[in-house]
Amino acid sequence: MAVVERAKIYEGTRIPSPIPTVLRVDPALREEGDILQVNFGPNHPSTHGVLRLVVDLNGEQVVGLEAVVGYLHTGFEKNMEQKTWWKGITYPARIDYLSFQYNELVFVLAIEKLLEVQPPEKATWMRMLLCELNRIHSHLIWLGTGALEIGAISMLWYCFRERDAVLDLFELVTGTRMHTRYFQAGGLAEDIPPGFFTECRRFVDYFPRRIDEYEAILDRQQIWLERTRGLGLLSAEDAIALGQTGPVLRASGVDWDLRKVQPYLAYDQVDFNVPVYENGDVYDRYKVKMDEMRESTRIVQQCLDGMPEGPWIVDDRKIVLPPRHELHTSMESLIHHFKLVTEGYRVPPGEVYVAVESARGELGCYVVSDGGPKPWRVKFRAPSFAALEATATCMRDALVADLIAIVGSLDTVMGEVDR
Amino acid sequence: MAEVERKKRLADYGLHSERVLMRRKEPGVFERELGDLEDKLMLTTVQKAVAWAQGHSIWPDTFGLACCAMEMIAIVSARYDVARFGAEVFRSSPRQADLLIVSGRVAHKMAKPIRQIYDQMLEPKWVIAMGACASSGGMFANYAILQGVDKIVPVDVHVPGCPPRPEALLEGIVRLQEKIIAGVPPAYEIRDVAS
Amino acid sequence: MSYESVPGFVSETEALDETTIVVQLERLVDAARHFRDELGFNFLADVTATDYLGWNERAVAGYWGSGTGRDINRPGSWGLATKPDPKAKRFSVSYHLVKLASGATEAPRLRLQVWCDDGDAVPSLTPVWPTADWHEREAWDMMGIRIEGHPNLTRILMEEDWEGHPLRKDYPLGGEPVRFSSEE
Repeated sequence: MAVVERAKIYEGTRIPSPIPTVLRVDPALREEGDILQVNFGPNHPSTHGVLRLVVDLNGEQVVGLEAVVGYLHTGFEKNMEQKTWWKGITYPARIDYLSFQYNELVFVLAIEKLLEVQPPEKATWMRMLLCELNRIHSHLIWLGTGALEIGAISMLWYCFRERDAVLDLFELVTGTRMHTRYFQAGGLAEDIPPGFFTECRRFVDYFPRRIDEYEAILDRQQIWLERTRGLGLLSAEDAIALGQTGPVLRASGVDWDLRKVQPYLAYDQVDFNVPVYENGDVYDRYKVKMDEMRESTRIVQQCLDGMPEGPWIVDDRKIVLPPRHELHTSMESLIHHFKLVTEGYRVPPGEVYVAVESARGELGCYVVSDGGPKPWRVKFRAPSFAALEATATCMRDALVADLIAIVGSLDTVMGEVDR
Repeated sequence: MAEVERKKRLADYGLHSERVLMRRKEPGVFERELGDLEDKLMLTTVQKAVAWAQGHSIWPDTFGLACCAMEMIAIVSARYDVARFGAEVFRSSPRQADLLIVSGRVAHKMAKPIRQIYDQMLEPKWVIAMGACASSGGMFANYAILQGVDKIVPVDVHVPGCPPRPEALLEGIVRLQEKIIAGVPPAYEIRDVAS
Repeated sequence: MSYESVPGFVSETEALDETTIVVQLERLVDAARHFRDELGFNFLADVTATDYLGWNERAVAGYWGSGTGRDINRPGSWGLATKPDPKAKRFSVSYHLVKLASGATEAPRLRLQVWCDDGDAVPSLTPVWPTADWHEREAWDMMGIRIEGHPNLTRILMEEDWEGHPLRKDYPLGGEPVRFSSEE
């Protein structure tokens, strides 16, 4: 059997022009060749949601590509302008529905930045713990569904078994599996219930062995290597020019992780590595995510060991509801409760942009406040939005079968793209 | 819990649904109506057999839109295993699927593809509106979201939740099975909107 | 550092650890190239358009909290109604820039802002940062800010033939009133 020459990372730029996000068919090819335009419609069996790719094929090879989005446009930003700051926290979780707590986190961090309030240590560490569990959750779903599309069907069941374990932990602490809405401006919504730390420790103890299992199944499997090595190449310069962040950027050789370069929460107090790989192909993005799951487990372990005692929310009654028992005795608490529930707390005027490293990359939130109880403008910078801009560049010299693998490796969540 | 000695199968005692967790609870409105329906419709044995076969082998379409899709994939997983209810595979092609589980918020831009997919399905076909967004627009009462997918396709079962737990979706599928077995026609025959 | 040398420089503000540089609309592409080539901001994170219609109309009253307690010298913190400072033009387009380097230990960020009115055209930054392509399409689709020189200015999130620009302040939220079954 002839050994297929694997493509290596390229020099120069492969960004198509004039439109950077659309691969246009070469006119010469259009005349001589037999170009077939196929619609990978909004409903396709791969579970990346409602993405439409209009693909021009010359035989098996992809010679033209355009991504059409907007099939899940929800109008989050306009809806959030009508809700108070507190009630608005319910919305962001549905934007990136795989790593839902990151969206809440970034919105809450933006509110806290405008309010200039610092949540207590316990809240910060707990947020970090839950967000890293959420990163594990997101990567598990990516691995399960991504491997399913390429053909490694059994990964779906293994990954979803672990995913259910993570969701059990979320249910234990927040009351619901997905869209937990546990973060408030000022800390957490409630104290951490007893039993959570034990269960979390148990999960963290067995989870690295599971990652070993997944790697044993996929890492050196010949079909997996054939279908992921050398595909979807994206060089470091192209990745930066196209606004990529997260695992896609790190798989292209750029050592950039917001948790290290601009530590938020308590990331400067925990010890973890950032996996960086050089080849910029689908296989490296898979390796980056596997390593990130391991590093997240390490962070969760350190959070469990170093979890401080103390209050779970800041004590400022102007932004946080007073404890219920005080409402019976203190008039001021009653008034604060009333004002906070009916009108909502007010955030000083200003504009901020806060970015966190979500499972997909830099998730940013730009908030403009007019001083009132409702936001004036909220915009979420979604990493998948930028990732889809890179499809045209990654898809050079790709075959139809590779198309699915490459789009899967960019790890896009359409809720985030369309907002 | 002590093992009660039974001489007949549970079904022969009159228990048709698996929801026997609450021992003292009588059948609810749903079960009673289904029970009455069987007498009223007076289905033939062949019709009952066909309905039994159809109900116990509903194959859904891989139609995931948003967050609810994640819980829908979860019902395929080993813990919630929908295959034991007959939904052995999720078919990718709507022409091979019986059930369209609209899982997630429906944007106006997506309405046309959904209707196309629904039209491509062969009869008999059923629709489950999963979650608050598919049932009624959910928390998104705005310009972009269709306020309930039953504006464009006739819906048999609405499953509430945001997102509904996998068990809740399984409950929806089980209720749909009971409806089919009882002889209730699919929604496109009884609704006069969007049929 | 001082950003006076940026072409079309108008003002520089520092608030809450963030620097906002406002430049003139006409010199935007030159300023962007200056930021990318001279100052090293090679990464465009986000392009956000904001509509300030009605910004200065209502006064907002109330006190707000802070970690150290209520600042009694801060305007508005006594419960008296204040209006936010008026804006000169209706729309602002903010470009969030990052200086991205592999292995760096810090992430310098900057907000480049231009202001425009309804109907003004903002030059496209796609030649400078290709990632601006879709962000600018979204600004056009949602806010109706015409981007001049964009290679493919079509609607991205709404349907191709949608009328109106949804995120503008004079565009209604939409939806329909909830009907209750007891109301029949």
